[in-house]
Amino acid sequence: MDCQAEVNCGLHLVIQTSSLPEKNKVEFKLNKDTSSFPGRLLQHDLERNYSSRQGDHINLVSSSLSSFPILQRSSEEKILYSDRLSLERQKLTVCPIINGEDHLRLLNFQHNFITRIQNISNLQKLISLDLYDNQIEEISGLSTLRCLRVLLLGKNRIKKISNLENLKSLDVLDLHGNQITKIENINHLCELRVLNLARNFLSHVDNLNGLDSLTELNLRHNQITFVRDVDNLPCLQHLFLSFNNISSFDSVSCLADSSSLSDITFDGNPIAQESWYKHTVLQNMMQLRQLDMKRITEEERRMASVLAKKEEEKKRESHKQSLLKEKRRLTINNVARQWDLQQQRVANIATNEDRKDSDSPQDPCQIDGSTLSAFPEETGPLDSGLNNALQGLSVIDTYLVEVDGDTLSLYGSGALESLDRNWSVQTAGMITTVSFTFIEFDEIVQVLPKLKIKFPNSLHLKFKETNLVMLQQFNALAQLRRIDQLTIDPQGNPVVNFTLWKYYVLFRLSHFSMQKINGTEVTQNDMIMAERLFGILAHVASSELPQYRLISILGDARKKQFQYLLESKGKKPGIINEENNDSKRLVGENTNRATLNYTTRDFYNEKLEEIKEKKKFCKTYIEDLVKEATEINMKNEALQKLWPQMFIELVRDAVIEIRNKNSYMKLCLQQITDQK
Amino acid sequence: MAKPKRKTQRHVLTYMEDAVCQLLENREDISQYGIARFFTEYFNSVCQGTHILFREFSFVQATPHNRVSFLRAFWRCFRTVGKNGDLLTMKEYHCLLQLLCPDFPLELTQKAARIVLMDDAMDCLMSFSDFLFAFQIQFYYSEFLDSVAAIYEDLLSGKNPNTVIVPTSSSGQHRQRPALGEAGMLEGVEASLFYQCLENLCDRHKYSCPPPALVKEALSNVQRLTFYGFLMALSKHHGINQALGALPDKGDLMHDPAMDEELERLLLPFLRLAQVPGLVNSVTASPEASCLPSRTPPRVGSPWRPLHHSRKVDGESDGSTEETDESET
Repeated sequence: MDCQAEVNCGLHLVIQTSSLPEKNKVEFKLNKDTSSFPGRLLQHDLERNYSSRQGDHINLVSSSLSSFPILQRSSEEKILYSDRLSLERQKLTVCPIINGEDHLRLLNFQHNFITRIQNISNLQKLISLDLYDNQIEEISGLSTLRCLRVLLLGKNRIKKISNLENLKSLDVLDLHGNQITKIENINHLCELRVLNLARNFLSHVDNLNGLDSLTELNLRHNQITFVRDVDNLPCLQHLFLSFNNISSFDSVSCLADSSSLSDITFDGNPIAQESWYKHTVLQNMMQLRQLDMKRITEEERRMASVLAKKEEEKKRESHKQSLLKEKRRLTINNVARQWDLQQQRVANIATNEDRKDSDSPQDPCQIDGSTLSAFPEETGPLDSGLNNALQGLSVIDTYLVEVDGDTLSLYGSGALESLDRNWSVQTAGMITTVSFTFIEFDEIVQVLPKLKIKFPNSLHLKFKETNLVMLQQFNALAQLRRIDQLTIDPQGNPVVNFTLWKYYVLFRLSHFSMQKINGTEVTQNDMIMAERLFGILAHVASSELPQYRLISILGDARKKQFQYLLESKGKKPGIINEENNDSKRLVGENTNRATLNYTTRDFYNEKLEEIKEKKKFCKTYIEDLVKEATEINMKNEALQKLWPQMFIELVRDAVIEIRNKNSYMKLCLQQITDQK
Repeated sequence: MAKPKRKTQRHVLTYMEDAVCQLLENREDISQYGIARFFTEYFNSVCQGTHILFREFSFVQATPHNRVSFLRAFWRCFRTVGKNGDLLTMKEYHCLLQLLCPDFPLELTQKAARIVLMDDAMDCLMSFSDFLFAFQIQFYYSEFLDSVAAIYEDLLSGKNPNTVIVPTSSSGQHRQRPALGEAGMLEGVEASLFYQCLENLCDRHKYSCPPPALVKEALSNVQRLTFYGFLMALSKHHGINQALGALPDKGDLMHDPAMDEELERLLLPFLRLAQVPGLVNSVTASPEASCLPSRTPPRVGSPWRPLHHSRKVDGESDGSTEETDESET
């Protein structure tokens, strides 16, 4: 870090003295060519150049008049070193009063214990003041030093930059090794060329405007997290940010806008550990010639631009992805919310029907499906960019259809319509898993035929929050072509709480030979148990139903399929069942349970409604028939009663008629002629 | 004399109406094979008790014969569940009921469960036999029980029991949270008084009632009883069960040889498959070991016995499996 490498511009304050006796090797070199790190090296240099003997012949006489010692030099020395005075390592705790030296230009107080800058206001020709390594807590007492060009206050205890208003000619300001937390009160230093704020407590860099001559800014060993205003420094060439807390290029983005910067260091920052560090910096700062004290080659630049482009692509891609993900999450939340409200509403209606009195149901059905702010508690940390993009979504869908490789996921009942879409054969053929969430099972039942056609390879069905409440509902799944796996999530599906549900599924859907239910493998024992539990139900459902019932339940479409079952009614069902079970096991649906159907509640009620009319008609029809029958019966009974009497009368009448043969013959002939 | 005649006449009419209704609904299909055959089959199934399968609840409860048939069908279909020893919740039993009758009301199942659980902790598990017998009483005598509930209420609150009691709506049983405070320290009502009211009720009631003599028998041992205690006693009484004629005695509840044979036949391919190595997923030791009585076939050990068994049955019962009631007591 402290490398002695050549830097193009720098400042090394060195003042060449004329030849001097050895004891006075005080050298301040002012050199504009060679360079170094002003702060430290200066001090370094100065120490090097100093002889072991410190200071000039100085007499410090304590005066009784004031608390400050008074400095006195021999007139000889005054003439020899009229413009410089060194009070280095004099164990000074205060600045002594310096009389009669008003044309002093260089003053050195290094390595003392001075706490306050005082008693130098009279030295108005001072151009260099060195207070390195003291105990100064506040910058003060400099207001008269209008010619000051170099101010060295390194390694003190200064907490704040202040009271530099009049030092408009300041060229070098060294404040390294202090306790400064903020850059301030330097905006008027338009001639300042070197500013050293290394080893302070700065957490950020700004407020640098006005430093129109600044070429070197040393900010090493601080706690800087972001940098601003550097683009306001028209001459800045060297910027040292080593050993700070910069972790992203965004926090130093103003550097990209500085056309003068050619040398920068970031080593010792978190950013330097990143994989994208070098090429990001190079890509953003095309004007740079040196990074971390190493010259930048053309090759590096080219690599940088390539890599930067790749980064850009990746970033865009992931941005898009997170946008989509966020949208998906919000949509699912919305669907879930609507589902909950719907369930609550149903529950409310149910409880209201229970109680005969009707309270006004607390009806939270003001569903506002279009607000982003509906989920404040659920928004995780979002990029500001992401947020902005989402603001553009004015309406969130009430359903979601997702295809993820081999899985088709449907959220919300609106999603069922998507089955009508034109799915490409390839996409549809790849789908092996279909997942339903937040959709009523009764609604799903109605689209199962479509599912069968459009997604012929769907083998795994998943249901979550679909209101599966009855074992009967599983009957509806029998119409599919094939199911290998079934997953019924306990959440929102009360049927899972039943002890027997798995066995019923295995029984009813035995023709699918399912492999897994809810992730657990189906064993042969399970199948046997299922048959054992419900086999008789199947038997009863098939062989004991009269023919016409079978027909009406199975419906037209499946009549052909089960023709042989219908035909076999006359034969021994035992044999047929055996044949069925053995040969048809894996192919067609098990015939003896085909009559176990499921009609959704709505359909069922509709049907019952329809039947009501018929029932009424039948009732009246039968009643009429009965009436007729009873009437006929009554008539019959009446006839039975009257008949003997009638018969006797008939016979008597006939006998009376035929008593007189002759007159009877005449009567008959008469009747015949009358007829004609 | 006229009354009973009218009763049976009414029921015959019910079946006639229903038959015609069914005919109307399935006009096209039935016309294919003849109306005469349809009527034959229909009334055959009424006799056999299979006419109520998968029918709507209003039909299932229309006549006592329907109710008996339904109870019997439920028993036959789900006896295996009971045999397996599973204890189920009220909701699950209701589910099973719905498999046979899709719109069976939950209320009735709840009431039946209340009898078993003595109106306590409705989420408790119940055994098959407990539930079935309680359900029988509740379903077959629903209207009667409603009236009894009303009577009980009145007795509890001290009203004159001999006033005419009109059967209340089904919510009567809801009101039946016994206000024990009113009856003082003793729970329920006095048995003999209660029986007198019941006797009156039975005389007047147009719906079916349990035979009064048997009811008296059920009440003979107790001084006082609660409503659910009474119902529990009814459900456990063998005589009443036999009088109903739907279900066998409790001891024989799990026995149905004909159906067991049938079940063996159905299980045959499964057991055979279990024999073939490699064809099976994994024949693990079933953790839910069913507590089967020794009559049932061995599981995986000896596959040949069931086959042999079923062939024998085939030879013997010629078409008898079409008759369903041959095992009826």
